[in-house]
Parts: sequence; C-alpha cells; structure tokens
Amino acid sequence: MASRPDTVAVVAGARALTFAELDREANRVAAGLAGLGVGLGERVALVLPNDLEMVIAVYGVLRAGAAFCPINPTTKPAKLERILEDVSAAAVLCDRESAEIVATAASPRAAIVSDIAELGAGAAPGAGAAMIGPDLAAVIYTSGSTGEPKGVTLTHSNMSFVADSIIEYLEMTEDDRILCVLPLSFGYGLYQLLTCVRCGATLVLERGFGAPGRIIQLLEESRITGLPAVPTIFQVLLSLRGLADRELPHLRLLTNAGAGLPEPVVRSIRETLPNAALYLMYGQTECQRVCYLPPAEADRRPTSVGIAIPGTEVWIEDDEGKPVGPGVVGELMVRGPHVMQGYWGRDPGSEQRLRTGRWPWERVLRSGDLFRRDDDGYLYFVSRRDDMIKSRGEKVAPREVEEALHAFAGVRDAAVVGVPHPMLGEAIHAHVSPNRGVELDPTVLRRHCAAMLESHMVPQLVVVHEELPRIGSGKIDRRKLAEVSDE
Amino acid sequence: MTAVQGGTEKDVRVEVRAFIEDNFLYMSPDVELGDGDDLLAAGIIDSLGFVELVEEVESRYGVPVADIEITEENFGSIDSIVRYVERKRAAP
Repeated sequence: MASRPDTVAVVAGARALTFAELDREANRVAAGLAGLGVGLGERVALVLPNDLEMVIAVYGVLRAGAAFCPINPTTKPAKLERILEDVSAAAVLCDRESAEIVATAASPRAAIVSDIAELGAGAAPGAGAAMIGPDLAAVIYTSGSTGEPKGVTLTHSNMSFVADSIIEYLEMTEDDRILCVLPLSFGYGLYQLLTCVRCGATLVLERGFGAPGRIIQLLEESRITGLPAVPTIFQVLLSLRGLADRELPHLRLLTNAGAGLPEPVVRSIRETLPNAALYLMYGQTECQRVCYLPPAEADRRPTSVGIAIPGTEVWIEDDEGKPVGPGVVGELMVRGPHVMQGYWGRDPGSEQRLRTGRWPWERVLRSGDLFRRDDDGYLYFVSRRDDMIKSRGEKVAPREVEEALHAFAGVRDAAVVGVPHPMLGEAIHAHVSPNRGVELDPTVLRRHCAAMLESHMVPQLVVVHEELPRIGSGKIDRRKLAEVSDE
Repeated sequence: MTAVQGGTEKDVRVEVRAFIEDNFLYMSPDVELGDGDDLLAAGIIDSLGFVELVEEVESRYGVPVADIEITEENFGSIDSIVRYVERKRAAP
C-alpha cells in the first residue's frame, strides 16, 4: 500500500488508521467475507457513511477478490432494494443505523453485516485473492435518464488507471493531506480515497459538508493541502466572512467537479485563495474523470474544463459521428483505459453509451453531453443531451422526481425542471396539476417528496397549476415551465 | 451604535425556534424539536441551512459571525444558538 506503514492513511473525527492498520483491518474483513462464503467476483454492497469502516470495507472487499458496490446510506428503501437486487449482492456491509432498512431491502440470500468490527475476528488471515487487471473491482450506481439506477462496472485496470492519471495531473504526493467531505459512495468522493492510499497521502474524512466553520478549522488545524469540492461547497465557503483574511499556507490544491462553476465564482475563488491552484474538472461515473483545466489556465479560460486527463483522448462529434472543428457544438467522446465495461447485467454491445472504437476490440464512451472546443483545444461544456438536472453537484433525473409526485393521490400531471440557482447550481422546481376537485398543498407535496426521495432530489419549489402548459404535440412545455420562477 | 438589538434570552429562544420552524421544520411536521436537539444529525439543516441561520443571527441581533464560528458548537441546536447570541451580545 505505501512505503511508510506508520504514516496516517485516514483520519475521521477523533479516530485514525495508519497504512499498516488499514492493511491489517482489510485483511481481517477479507477473511471474514471468505468465511461468509463470498466468492471471487461476487458483489458486496457497502451501505456506510464516510468513516473508517467504509474505508476498511472497500479494501477488505477488494482483498477478498470480490467487487464493492458503494451505496449512499441515505438511499430510500425502495431504491436500495432495486440496487441490491440488480447487483445481486452476496453480502451487505452496513452499520447499526442502516441495518433495519438493509434487512428489509436485501434478498434473504445476502449476508448482512451490521458491524464490520465483528467480521473475521479470530479468522486466520488468508493469502488474499490474486485479482488481475480485467477482474471486476466495483459496480457504482448512477441515475439513468429514466430514473432507474444503472450499475457502472469498473475493473481493477479501470480504477488503477484513473487513480494514477489523477495523481499525475494533480501532482499528488505522500505529503498531501486531502479533506474529503464528498460521499465515498460517489465517484468523485471515492477517488479521493483511492488516490490518497495509492500515493501514500493522508485522507481527512468528514461525514459530509456540515457546519462551514468546521471545514475552516480543519483547513487550518489539519494543515489540509487539498480540498475537492462541488460548486455548492465553494459558494458556501465564499459567502463566509473572514475567509479572504486567512493565510491557509498549506492549501495548495482546490478541485471542482460534479457541476460547472459559474465564471464569477471562479474569479472569486482565485481572488480569495490566490495561492491555491484551482482545477476545473469534468467527469462522469462511466469513466470517473474525463478532463481537467491546468490551473495556469483558470484565469484565462475560467469557463473551460480543459483537456483530456493523462493517457486518454477526447473529441467532439456531430450527429453523423464525424469529428467537428473548433467552435462547433457536438457530443463529447471519450477514449481510454478508464472507460467502463458497460452497465451491470446488460449486454455492453447493445449499450448506446458505448460504441466500437478505433480497434475492433475497443469501446469508446459517448458522454451524452454537448461540448465545444476553442482554437487551442480546450473544452467547454454546453449542455446535457438529456434533461438531467445537476443540483448540489449530483445528478437528478426529472422522471424520478415526477414519479414520486405522481405517487401522491390527487396529482394528475407533474413536470420537474432545473432552474439556475446561485448556490445549488440548479434548483429543482416541480410543477403539478391536480385531479378535478382536488386541492394540492405545495408544502405537503414537498414533504411527500422528502419522504420518498434522497434529500438532493427534493424540489425547492412546488407550483400548483390548474393545467400544465403544453406544446402543439400535446407534450408538457418544459421550456416554458423552466421560465416560471418564484412567484 | 452599541445598543443591544432584540430582547431577553427568552425572546431569543422563541425567535430562534420560530425561525427554524418556519424555514426548516415545515418539511418535517412530525418532528418534535427539543431545544438541545442536534439540527444537523436530525437532518433539519445542512450547510446551506447554517448559512441561513448565520444570516438571521447577524441581521436580527446585529452580531457579526466569523467564518470559523459557524460550527456545531455555536449553531448546532437551539440551545447552542441562544448561548452563542447571548455571549456575543454580552461581549461583542
């Protein structure tokens, strides 16, 4: 794992693990999983918050020769059940808090472990399974445009390649101390762990982005060198009084992904924290990371997400599949050892997001996002091809929110749109119309959504209309609805 | 101007609770919020909620809040917010 076994690998609150301890704990979990009958290549779901147990679980599963499937512990029971069934999890590692929901959602065949400290206690350490590059390492679920979760399959080769590529362009070393408030169940968060462990850096792990003052304290007291963030985190930090006056001499690295940063925010970050290099990046679960803007360009091209990550290639195509020149908008295509193998349980050959590449054995990834590039080859995100919303750096499928609204008695039509919002990136606005004779209360509908959906999917605004506006073909006029803001 | 804005400690408690109920709690009508309950752990506020609470405290009580003070110790529950406001008003 690292050349310095006694160095701290991960800090979480008052607890910490050295590399040697992480190694030992991962071996224990691996032995425990083997004892439960988890075989090579089987999937183990991890329904755990950001804490040492999650870190140990990730490496324990890999060492057992199995693949991990990280799931945010705030996932609602119905979705959890769909994911556990889709991935046919052989075991689920969770904590006492989520044990009850997991027990309801998991198949009776799955082993449920609600305290990983008990796993493999007293078991003889195994030799560890010899996995090689093409073996399955992880299945990470992402929302498809229809709202149903799809499991991105990643091999050991996929993951180690991306981790090395990121370490290279961020120039990470074992002296780095990275503060991670992003969920480890999310690719952007997970790679903070994978890159730190791989290069021997220290990961300072928080349960989430809670009280902003806590983050400032950690930046100072834990001598943080790198802060990976999504736009909402930057917006909150920049809104604080006093940040510009802080020295933060250790902070050398800021990264943004999950959603684009508006240009004024980029400028404000540069003015407030001029000594930290700002990396504007773009990625998606299907290959984890696509491109990054070298920080020297941030002042000159603040709206660009840069160039392909090292060892990969990107280009922009028109609808006929022909590459287009500078200034022309088309779909971004991605080629390299980071491209996923397909979605779990589906035939990769029939998958629209993958296409045959330059060689007959090769598959390239269609990003599904529209981009253009400038004369120097730097990339600019234009829009999504589908109608997915990006709120707080997370993807939200309007369909999934609409289904939740439809599940409320008395809702006849529901349309959910994303509306630009200074803090959230996009705010989620829901427009509904009632069945005849029914009165709908927006607050009650928001509560209903909060009970059915993860918090980042709950609409900030619900507007009740007598009728939803429609275009000529009878479809709901989403564009018009997107223009209806707070009234 | 050094005049203390707002009323007594009891008034602050009532006002802070009303602000939280109006702005955050209406989403969770079944929650019986105690003065000592952890707002973050209960999922009542998130990081954006902290920012809203800070803006309210600054504007209503004229108390400037430094970035590093926006912690759970100072803003994590109704009790802690009341304590924080009282302390700052006593020694601004």
